[in-house]
Amino acid sequence: MSDTNVPTSEYRPQASEQPPTRTTSPREWVRLNLFNTWYNSLLTVVLAPLVGYVIYRALRFVFVTARWEIIEVNLTNFMVGTFPRGELWRVWGAIIILGLVIGLGLGVTSRASAETARARGVAAGTSWSLVARRAAPALLLLVALVVFVRTATPLLLLAAALAVAAGGYVAGRWIPPQHRRWMHIAVVAGLAGSYVVMTQFGGVNLAHWGGLMLTVFLAVGGIALAFPVGIIVALGRRSKLPAIRVVSMLYIELIRGLPLIALLYMGWLILPFLLPIGFPTPGRTWRALIVLLVFTAAYVAEIVRGGLQSIPKGQYEAAQALGLPAWKMMRLVILPQALRNVIPALVGQFISLFKDTSLVLLIALTDLLGVARRVTQQPEFLGQGLHAESLLFVSFIYWVGSYWMSRESQRMEQRLGLGER
Amino acid sequence: MRITKLLAPSLVVPALFLAACTDDGGGDNGEPALPDDEMVEGADEDAPGNEDGDDAGSSGGTLAEVRDRGVLNCGINGAVPGFGFVTPEGEYEGFDVEFCRVVAAAVLGDADAVDYTELTAETRFAALQAREIDVLIRNTTWTSSRDGSESGSFTTTTFYDGQGMMVRADDGFESLDDMDGTAICTLSGTTTELNLESAFSARGLDYEPLTFEDNDTLREAFLAERCDGWTSDKSQLAAFRAEWPEEEGGSEALTVLDETMSKEPLGPVTLDGDDEWHDAVHWAVIATIQAWEFGIDSSNVEDFLDADPEEDPEIARFLGIDDFDPGLGLDPDFAVNILEQVGNYQEIYERTVGPDTALGLEPGLNNLWTEGGLLYPPPYR
Repeated sequence: MSDTNVPTSEYRPQASEQPPTRTTSPREWVRLNLFNTWYNSLLTVVLAPLVGYVIYRALRFVFVTARWEIIEVNLTNFMVGTFPRGELWRVWGAIIILGLVIGLGLGVTSRASAETARARGVAAGTSWSLVARRAAPALLLLVALVVFVRTATPLLLLAAALAVAAGGYVAGRWIPPQHRRWMHIAVVAGLAGSYVVMTQFGGVNLAHWGGLMLTVFLAVGGIALAFPVGIIVALGRRSKLPAIRVVSMLYIELIRGLPLIALLYMGWLILPFLLPIGFPTPGRTWRALIVLLVFTAAYVAEIVRGGLQSIPKGQYEAAQALGLPAWKMMRLVILPQALRNVIPALVGQFISLFKDTSLVLLIALTDLLGVARRVTQQPEFLGQGLHAESLLFVSFIYWVGSYWMSRESQRMEQRLGLGER
Repeated sequence: MRITKLLAPSLVVPALFLAACTDDGGGDNGEPALPDDEMVEGADEDAPGNEDGDDAGSSGGTLAEVRDRGVLNCGINGAVPGFGFVTPEGEYEGFDVEFCRVVAAAVLGDADAVDYTELTAETRFAALQAREIDVLIRNTTWTSSRDGSESGSFTTTTFYDGQGMMVRADDGFESLDDMDGTAICTLSGTTTELNLESAFSARGLDYEPLTFEDNDTLREAFLAERCDGWTSDKSQLAAFRAEWPEEEGGSEALTVLDETMSKEPLGPVTLDGDDEWHDAVHWAVIATIQAWEFGIDSSNVEDFLDADPEEDPEIARFLGIDDFDPGLGLDPDFAVNILEQVGNYQEIYERTVGPDTALGLEPGLNNLWTEGGLLYPPPYR
C-alpha cells in the first residue's frame, strides 16, 4: 500500500550540485588523526607498538604455533556432537533441503525487491558487490571449516548443497509474482521435510543432537518462535481486556525476574513433575528450546511494547478513520512502524539468545561450546594445553554468527530507512 | 509492510513446532534412538522370566521401567580423561562408560543399549532425583552425605582413587614432610583444596596455595614453575604426568609422592528407595570382579560355558549353566552377557586407564584382594 504513495520521481541532485569530496593523502590522514596534538602523538607512539605486538602474536599463534590437529580430527564432533556417524546422511539431506528452500526464498525476495525498486523508479540491478558483502561472513565460516576438512566427501556434499541453493535462487527469481505466496508453503514444507529426514523413519532422537547443529537449532528455533510469541504478549500487555493484560504482565515480569540458568534447570528437572501424569514428557532438547523461547519472548515483548508506544496516536486514529478493523490496523499500520523502530534492540536480543544457547551445557546437552570443552580430554590430546585452539575455533564460529546477524540488521535498518523517516 | 510479510510465515512456525513437539513427545522416554530390534525382543523375553523368578516389587520399579524402555539412561562425565570422554568418531569411551555398558548388558542383554547423559558435578544428583537417569556413573566419591541427604545409594566401588601430590623429580621432595614453605597448585572450589589444608596443618607445615579454575591453566602454571607441588586425584595426576612434554624431560621429570591425602572411592549410584534396581546394578558390577577372580574373560568365556558344570559348581552358578537364579531380577546368564559384550574388570581397567593407556595407572588398590588390592567380590551362591 505504501508503494503507490511513494513519489515516482525523487529529487536527485546533479553532479555539479553535490558537495565536493575531500581527498586526503595517507600522510595527511596520519597527521590529522594520529599526531594532531602532543598527547595524541604520545598515545600513538606508546600504543602503536603494543597493538602491533598483540596482532603479531595473535597472527603468529593462529598461523604458526597453534596445533590445529585437534580441530581437524574432531571436526565432525564440533559440527554434530555424538550424532551417530552412520546416520550422517540425514544431516546432509536436511542441509540440502534447507539449502534449496533458502535459495528459493532469497531468489523470490530479490526479484520482489527489484520489482519494487523498479516501480519506484530507482535504478535496480543485481549489485554483485552487495551480494558478496552480504555473503562474506557465511563464506568466511565455510572457508574456516573447509580448511579443517580432511576427506573429499564432505567437500563434495557441501558443493552439492551450494549448487542446490544456487539452483533454488535461480528458480526463485523465475517464479512470477502471482505464485509468490507459495513460497511460504515451500519454506514450511522444507523445514518440516528436513525435520522428518532427521528424526523420523529410524532417525535420530533430538537428545543425541550436538555441536554446531544443536546450537543452530536452538538459536534459530528460539528466534523464530520467540518473535511471534513476543509480539502476541506485547499486544496482550496493551490489551483493553484486564485478564489478558494481567496475564501478559505477570508472564513478562515473572520470566524477566529469573536468571536463564534457573529457568533451564527448572525446565530440565522440574517441568516433568509439573506435567499431568501420563502426559509424555518432551525430550530434553525440546525442553531447552521451550525454556529459551519462554525466556526470550518475555524480552521481545518488552522491546516490541517500546516500539508500539513510540507510534503517535495519530497513526491509530488515521487507521481507524480509514475503517480498518483492529487486527488490520495492527498488521498494516502499527506493527510495521513499531517493529521497524526496534530492529536494533530486537537483533541485540537475538544475538544474545544465540550465545545464551551455550548455557544448555549445564542441562546435559552438548552444544558447540560443550564440544570444545570435551575434545581436550581425549587421550591423544590430553594435557597438552589445547584449550586455546578449540576455544578460539568455537569463538570464531560464534563471532561470525553474531556479526552476520548484526550486519543484516544494519542493512535492514538502512533499507527501511530507520532514523531517516 | 515487508515486516508483516516476514511475520506471516513465522506465525506458521509455532503451529509446526507444536505438531513436531507432540510428534516427538516421547523424547527420552519414547522410542529408543538405537534402531535395535534384538534389544526390544530381548526386553520382551525378559519380562515373563522376571515375573517367574521375582515377583516382589517388580512392577513400577526402575528395573521394569528400563526393560520396558529398552535403553539404560546412564549419567556420566563427558570430559574426564580415561573415565568418560567422546572420541573423534562421536563414541563415548572410558572406565565409567564401560560400567554403563556392563549394567546394560546385565539388565537388557545389550551393552549398546545405553543413552548417555553428560552431567556436571552440580547437577548429577539432581538429575538422579528427577529420574532423568537410571544410574549415575560419573567419578563420584562415596561419602556419607551423598549416601544420606543426596538420596543416593552407592554400589560396590569400581575405582579406588586418592588425592596425591606431584612434584618435579629434580626438586628432591621425597614426602609431604619435605614440602614446608612451598607453593602448591590446586583447583579451586574442590575438596582437594580442603584436604590439602588438613594434610599440611596436621603435619604442622606451612604452604602457599595457588588455586586455578581448570586443569589446563594449572598445568601452564606448573610448567612455568610457579608452584612446587600439584595436588589432585592420583588418577588425574598420572594422566598429566604421562603427557608431560618431552622438552621438559617427559614423564621421568615428575614424581607422584606415595602419600595419599584422602580416600576417594568412586562407584555407581542409584536412587534411594529402589532396592531391586540397586541390587541389579550392584551385582552387575560385582560380576566383572568375580569373573576376574575366576579367571574368566571375554576371550575364554566360551570355554567355561562348554566345561563340565560338575567341575566347578560356583562357576557354573555364576555363568547360569545350571539355571541358578539368586533372585536378583537378572537373567541367570547375565554374567555371560557382560563378559561376551564388555569383559571382566581387568579387561575394562587395562583398556581404559591401565598402564598401557594414556593415563598409565598401575592397579594399586584396584586389584583383587588376593593380589593386595581391595576388590573382594561377595560369593555367588
